Amino acid sequence: MASPVSVYNSNALDTHISSTSRESLKMELLADVSLLPGEERITDKDIIYICPFSGAVKGKVLITNYRLYFKSSDSDVAVMLDVPLGTISRVEKMGGASSRGENSYGLDITCKDMRNLRFALKQEGHSRRDIFDLLFKHAFPLSHGLPLFAYLTQEKYEENGWNVYKPMEEFRRQGLPNNKWRITFINKNYELCDTYPTVLAVPFKSKEEDLRRVAAFRSRARIPVLSWIHRENQAVIVRCSQPLVGMSGKRNKDDERYLDMIREANDTTKLTIYDARPNVNAVANKATGGGYEGDEYQNAELIFLDIQNIHVMRESLKKLKDIVYPNVEESHWLSSLESTHWLEHVKLVLSGAIQVADKVSSGNSVVVHCSDGWDRTAQLTSLAMLMLDSHYRTLRGFQVLIEKEWISFGHKFASRIGHGDKNHADQDRSPIFVQFIDCVWQMTKQFPTAFEFNERLLLTILDHLYSCRFGTFLYNCESARDQHDVRSKTVSLWSLVNSKMDIYLNPFYTPESGRVLYPVASMRHLELWVTYYIRWNPRIRQQQQSPVEQRYKELLALRDEYLKKLEELQLSDSSPSSRLANSPTPNTPSSTSSTPSQQYTHLQTPL
Amino acid sequence: MEFSEHIKTANVEDVVLRQPLHPPSRGTLCITGHHLLFSDREEGSSRQLLLLLRNIDAVEKRISGSSGTITIKCKDMRVLHLDIPGMEQCLNIAHSIETLSCLDGVAAMYPFFYRPSDLSLQNQWGLSSTEKYYSQMKELHNRWRLSSVNRDYSVCPSYPPAVIIPQNTDDDMLKKVAKFRQGGRFPALCYYHRKNGMVILRSSQPLTGANRKRCREDEHLLQAVIDGSDKGYIIDTRSSQQAQQARMTGGGFESKSSYSHWKRLHRQMERGKALQESLIKLVEACGDESHNMDRWLSKLENSKWLSHVQTALSTAGLLAECVERDGHSVLVHGSEGTDSTLLISTLAQLIMDPCCRTLEGFLALLEREWVQAGHPFQQRCAHFAYSHARLQQESPVFLLMLDCVWQLWRQFPLALGFSEALLLRLATEAYASDYGTFLCNSHQERCALGVTENTHCLFQALLRPTERDYYSNPLYEPTELAIWPSVHPQSLQLWRGFFLRWTQQARQLEEAQEEIRNMVIEWGKMALS
Repeated sequence: MASPVSVYNSNALDTHISSTSRESLKMELLADVSLLPGEERITDKDIIYICPFSGAVKGKVLITNYRLYFKSSDSDVAVMLDVPLGTISRVEKMGGASSRGENSYGLDITCKDMRNLRFALKQEGHSRRDIFDLLFKHAFPLSHGLPLFAYLTQEKYEENGWNVYKPMEEFRRQGLPNNKWRITFINKNYELCDTYPTVLAVPFKSKEEDLRRVAAFRSRARIPVLSWIHRENQAVIVRCSQPLVGMSGKRNKDDERYLDMIREANDTTKLTIYDARPNVNAVANKATGGGYEGDEYQNAELIFLDIQNIHVMRESLKKLKDIVYPNVEESHWLSSLESTHWLEHVKLVLSGAIQVADKVSSGNSVVVHCSDGWDRTAQLTSLAMLMLDSHYRTLRGFQVLIEKEWISFGHKFASRIGHGDKNHADQDRSPIFVQFIDCVWQMTKQFPTAFEFNERLLLTILDHLYSCRFGTFLYNCESARDQHDVRSKTVSLWSLVNSKMDIYLNPFYTPESGRVLYPVASMRHLELWVTYYIRWNPRIRQQQQSPVEQRYKELLALRDEYLKKLEELQLSDSSPSSRLANSPTPNTPSSTSSTPSQQYTHLQTPL
Repeated sequence: MEFSEHIKTANVEDVVLRQPLHPPSRGTLCITGHHLLFSDREEGSSRQLLLLLRNIDAVEKRISGSSGTITIKCKDMRVLHLDIPGMEQCLNIAHSIETLSCLDGVAAMYPFFYRPSDLSLQNQWGLSSTEKYYSQMKELHNRWRLSSVNRDYSVCPSYPPAVIIPQNTDDDMLKKVAKFRQGGRFPALCYYHRKNGMVILRSSQPLTGANRKRCREDEHLLQAVIDGSDKGYIIDTRSSQQAQQARMTGGGFESKSSYSHWKRLHRQMERGKALQESLIKLVEACGDESHNMDRWLSKLENSKWLSHVQTALSTAGLLAECVERDGHSVLVHGSEGTDSTLLISTLAQLIMDPCCRTLEGFLALLEREWVQAGHPFQQRCAHFAYSHARLQQESPVFLLMLDCVWQLWRQFPLALGFSEALLLRLATEAYASDYGTFLCNSHQERCALGVTENTHCLFQALLRPTERDYYSNPLYEPTELAIWPSVHPQSLQLWRGFFLRWTQQARQLEEAQEEIRNMVIEWGKMALS
């Protein structure tokens, strides 16, 4: 069985902490914590961790400007916690100086990653005051005029993750610009739309004035722009925000003509507009000036995808947390799970994305929006792109997808996650990105050979969504990132990932560049992502990960060996082997082994 | 028996077959004594469907005008539709299928006619036997002996001829013990734990009855089992209330006073009809084609299937804990000792013993613990979950065991040497098979019908080189450690590979597994070259 020491330690975050021997533990509890470059000790203290699984555990807590670290002093109950402060959503005082009962005085910490932590202290002498104040200050640095840790870290990596995504390169990879679509720099100073990126792809026929007039009619000026184009049939995915129709049912000829240009670019009779919201919500939005495309948009059809808003998703995940932490619901697990509706929401997001992907692969261009076009829209476009374009299913391609559809297009990470902000009840917070990663996970389960990356990457991404150690998920949009010099002053998460790629690779990955993945978005085929949502519960853990990872590592080595030999064989063979000739050339080199690995998928082992 | 008397219409042209994962096709339908054969008429394609009639669980017919539709629901969860021109032909076909799919005579069943070119009836039948197990376990020999008291099946009709019992228990004593146990199933050894010398025995309930009858020989036998250690455990697969109630009908349990060194643990496991009803509900939910699947999870929960999986795994875990962790011998029984008893002894052995986790080891385990130990396959697997026939002795215990093994397989992806495909194959074969392995209810019945002489053995067939790769787990990494399953509801999943087998999704996953297997095999070959 797994050593209990590692049980509470998330896989992704332990990579830079040197392992500790039990001997040194006894001598000095905290001496062995290896801090990140730039990480500084704030305070440490004897404390009792009220572990929901092993009971009260005596030990020592260390607080730095990056993490909360706890280690039990009793070697019989080896418990370790290593929680980045960014993960903390709320710190409260539990009990008072006169509270009765054992361990009734202390701190209650609510985390953003599906767990809570509870510490008890001695009641005498206001012993928690210092630690509470310090924790509160450093867990929520932005609320106290302090910088986020991403600006303090001195970490160095071989690769600079900020170079992973270059908008122009990505457009060129897609075959843009072409005679139907052009690249515009109209937003280079964020003047057209302050939440959009600087480089945009728009219909070739549209003029810059058109864009400005359309911007006036779209919520927050988020005009329809191209996200992805199908290489063969030239159908496109266009994203935007809702039109500002309002109660009076305003029309805007420019907007109507602009959408028609999008349709024309692909020469189809009808443009499909997917409104991610439920119909009633779209109608209700008219009251606040928004709305949806009506009949005046000729040659367009509008389909509502019935996906609920950020508030519904937040409450749903909260319900899920209630049934999995600290105690998992045992007696009516499935119906309790059903009543959270989380899987149902996942299903609706996935099935919306499937509709988008299907429409596009059958040659029809689509426009996707919700209200502002930064939550549900990002989910739908990025999932559809993941289904349509195998490049995004590579380790680097997936990074590009996130950088492009989420980060550059202004998913409001800062507001949704609340980095460094003490306001835990902020109604803007919502696990939209978590839900997206869940959908990706569902896809990897349904297509175990179609993704170059493994579950560990998804866990790492979600851990650092909160950790504030990397600049990747900070701020709401590109203009804010520019203003705060994120790219020059912080490290990208992809620097960490791409400097140690092999642990994130799926050994069974078989690239099939033309393949469109249609996951089944039926409740019957969706699973709760237990290894994420319930990973803190030691009893739910399945076969310890290390032997599986070890075996996968061996398999990766075996695969590389195989690919090397295959290459040698090919080199020595002057005429190309007919068995290998039909493999398509990859769009872009994705991983070290992508060229030869394109090919083994077509090899059949005679059984 | 003449099959022809049941076949009024043997051939029908212009039949449309609709089946999952395929477009409808038009062709010729043909009924033989054992098969339903459909061949595609389309030029160039030669699609055929060969379906064992035994595999058909329910037939539904709908006549409209001059033609009719027959819906065939199979024991492997496939649902097929045949559109047949001509009302009379349709009725004839339906009637033939209905009759031929559930004929009683075992000797007329297909395994007695199946003669593939690459198998010979001269081949060895089976992989394992009590004798073989005993001879392999040298450590057993000073305290345990092989008895042939049951050589003519007179002591226990459902046991094999050879049994392993304590050295100092003679055959006359055994006969007396057998009279004290339901169906004569006296306590016999089924597993020896090499690490600590502890054993698992299985039996049926003692026939203590309302007046608390005792049997000195039975007590003596059990005492001999734990000789030299402080105590043993009895895992009773009934609740203690159920065990109490059993006394009213002549059954009972080992009382503390008579078996002072044995500690009884009761774990209520669902059996018989309740299990069958659970399967019916689950299969119904899985086959629900309506788009309104909002209530899927509730339906899944209401079927209780996963909670049966949970109980089976946790009881098996308890058994393994007694043996491996506590270091005590255990006797397992419920009432008859032919169902849940076998279920948990099998699972416990998989948990503890690495030898059972290889492909051969697992098949040999199934052969000893299910086929030879007298699980009444013919009664339990007579019908699957679709049949409209009145339920008799049907109960999906074997399927439940396979599901539990699948859960283990999922939780320990490296620890088992066989693939999901093997479990799926076994689940199908148990209900309808070309092979003789799962015929009859006991060793005695099989012997009387000459099953080993006149049919082929499934387990041998699965180990042929051509099949072996397919049924092996490419990721297998043997471990000596016990594999303790997590039995929380969150850790258990619906066995989609089986229950949602005929969906696009399951097909895709199967293909991906296949791809992974080929990949790993290919890498291995290259590395060796």
